Amino acid sequence: MNCAETIEPPIDMNCAEPAVMKTPALLPNNQIRLPMGLLGFEQIKDYVLLANPAEEPFAWLKVQSNAALAFVVIDPFIVLPNYQPDIPDADAAFLGLKQPDDALLLNIVTVHGPHRATVNLKGPIVINRITHVGKQVIIANANDYSVQHPLPVNESVV
Amino acid sequence: MLILSRKSGESIVIDGRIHVKVVRVEGDVVKVGIDAPSDVPVHRQEVYDEIQCSNQQALTRQSTPLPKLVGSA
Repeated sequence: MNCAETIEPPIDMNCAEPAVMKTPALLPNNQIRLPMGLLGFEQIKDYVLLANPAEEPFAWLKVQSNAALAFVVIDPFIVLPNYQPDIPDADAAFLGLKQPDDALLLNIVTVHGPHRATVNLKGPIVINRITHVGKQVIIANANDYSVQHPLPVNESVV
Repeated sequence: MLILSRKSGESIVIDGRIHVKVVRVEGDVVKVGIDAPSDVPVHRQEVYDEIQCSNQQALTRQSTPLPKLVGSA
């Protein structure tokens, strides 16, 4: 991923992102800045979003300064088409979101083992697709959702 | 911890820009109104704690094999 170091990479098919995700989940150049960090990790603000087609629909949000540290994330609408997070106006304004399509949502997955994974639906990471600035938002309707919503893991595959 | 007594309708100002007002007191429930700039995160403590705890559990320190989801190739 050397091309990720270029802020605005030239159009070059050799440098293209891996053909990823059935959904428009990834951002060009994949750099994401969370000015407030994640809750509990307020000091870590710079991340790189990576996806491996073999691991779809999961992706990795890696800490830029320490690639060994990462969070597994997922586009929540893949697993919950009816997910309706209520993003507070103040957060939308902070992120400069003018319309819903400006936002990319990624929810953090906890992998408990080969057969159990859960996703946090109360605190999605909302990212402005244009600026690549994001924030972990506590949704206004957090009471309707779980912080450990079970994902439908295929028991037959390890 | 600084402890202040406030009556319903009275406020506290923090740092000249965060206003905390006791809107109403009903039995053991206190309704609090908060006016803060949009860059100041304000959360209910328990939701904040829950998400923080979930984030800490979710952090991976090495490449972890990911489960296969039902329906994915």
